Amino acid sequence: MDPGSARSQGVSETLTAPASQTRDTSWERFESLYRSSRDDVYAYVSTLLRDPAAAEDVTALAFERAYRRRRTFDRRRGEERAWLFGIARNAALDELRRRRRVVTLVTDPEDAATADADDAEVALRRTAVQNALAKLPAREREIVALKFHAGMSNAELAGVLGVSESNAGTLLYRTMEKLRKACNATA
Amino acid sequence: MPQLDKDPIDPEIAATLDAIDATLAGEPVDGRFAEVAEIALLLASERPQVPPAFAESMDAKVQRRFAPLDGKARRFGAGGPRKRRRWSGVWQGTGAVAAGAAAIVAIAVVAGGGHGASSGASSSAAAGAPLRSLSSASPANGSGSATSAHSVPARAPSESGSAANGSAAGSAASVPPIVQPPTSGRKVVQGAQLNLSAAANRVEAVAQEIYNVVGQANGIVENSSVTQGGPGAGANFQLSLPSGGLAETMSQLSTLNYAQVVSRTDSSQDITDQYGATTRALADARALRTSLLKQLANATTTEQVDSLNAQIHDAEASISSDQATLNRLNHSVNYSEVYVTVAAKSGPVPASHGGGGFTIGRAAHDAGRVLTVAAGVALIAIAALTPVALVVALVWWVGSALKRRRREQALDSV
Repeated sequence: MDPGSARSQGVSETLTAPASQTRDTSWERFESLYRSSRDDVYAYVSTLLRDPAAAEDVTALAFERAYRRRRTFDRRRGEERAWLFGIARNAALDELRRRRRVVTLVTDPEDAATADADDAEVALRRTAVQNALAKLPAREREIVALKFHAGMSNAELAGVLGVSESNAGTLLYRTMEKLRKACNATA
Repeated sequence: MPQLDKDPIDPEIAATLDAIDATLAGEPVDGRFAEVAEIALLLASERPQVPPAFAESMDAKVQRRFAPLDGKARRFGAGGPRKRRRWSGVWQGTGAVAAGAAAIVAIAVVAGGGHGASSGASSSAAAGAPLRSLSSASPANGSGSATSAHSVPARAPSESGSAANGSAAGSAASVPPIVQPPTSGRKVVQGAQLNLSAAANRVEAVAQEIYNVVGQANGIVENSSVTQGGPGAGANFQLSLPSGGLAETMSQLSTLNYAQVVSRTDSSQDITDQYGATTRALADARALRTSLLKQLANATTTEQVDSLNAQIHDAEASISSDQATLNRLNHSVNYSEVYVTVAAKSGPVPASHGGGGFTIGRAAHDAGRVLTVAAGVALIAIAALTPVALVVALVWWVGSALKRRRREQALDSV
């Protein structure tokens, strides 16, 4: 068959990628995943561990493991982002298991300039939310981290936790209710 | 992998979740969700920010694709990937050892199976391992008979020598030699029964080969029947072969193209005493006849002449009888009775494995045999590895479940 006869009229760009680009698509996919998920993974791990230094180690370890296993990723089993957060979750849980201690540091110290910028009522509510979040069990804190710090949808959240989407939504709802009641009790 | 939803979510919960998503997306929400929306915004604002130094370090690490820096110890992954690589090596080594052990077991089974399978004549032909069951009684002293039975396998094509061309050297490796009693100065009658098998469509070719071998050996086909085609295909031959070349002729009959030896029986009978007695009786009869002839020459009366003539007649009858017996014994000694049967079988029979050089058919047969053996070894290896693999899979599954459980417990303990 004449290749020219099969082409559409008016198409001037070739769709064939250069050899250098098609050589290692898994690396390109990983790099793209890293760019889009680095901050989210760190935020999730940091909230879960409540230890910024350990969060850095675990985040780096998670990305290194994901890099090593990037060719084993099977899209039929879920999205890459859920796969990455699964790796990060396992690494974080291993870290928790290794340490076997409760980290007392809740979050980074509040930025004074930011505190000044908030009005008193918002600052009060923020403190109440921080305290309520600190008192949450790790399992519920993880849901908060995945939803609000990693920016995951309920479906992605379900994928990471290995539960159904409705189950994940229910867990999130209960966690929000617990936070709301804790904030109201503080107020 | 997310599980499938079995139950629909509560409408109130769904509305709250929608409000949370709308809030995070910067969209307005209903007033009854104001409190939840505020908490959601405050939670989102509590998101830990990546320290710039760490972000820079991670970017550099990703750019060099996690290659360790020269001369610097690894900071991250305390025991993580490195430990995994070590375990990966252990698993690879274990797998190699298991595969090697399985291969050894398979080879041992195949080698052992060759001997075990050859206990029967028909299976020994397929196993390719020679086994001979021999029972013989030595007839060296006095008259007697001996029978030796051989169950011999089909000769592999690679072993084919020049037996068809008149030399038995090539067949010596796989075809047992004729068991012959010592014949120096003794009269021995030899016989043999050779049972062959061939594909039904090869019976005619095998029969023609038998005719050719007998002709080359100056033997006689005393009786033969060849049936072609159908389930009753086969052939039977009653041969009379010169005893002097019996071993060579039997070797040729055992290495026919398109035929496999199922069994072979060699027999011998020492008739020295019988031969001697007949010889002596013949000599006595001749001496008697000579004496009677002399007496007849000197006879003077008619009665004497008549009596001597009658005795001479009896002596000549005895001479004739003894001579016939002696001739029959000589023929039995000089020519061996050999019975050959060719039975058709339904299974495939290897292509020509008689004499000659390299042929495509023979190469194809060799290749098929190699593939068959390789497939058998692989099958046995799989059989040997399967229980090991099941145990390994079970251990891996239990280990994974325990690890998962401990991780979840770690989450609950914080």
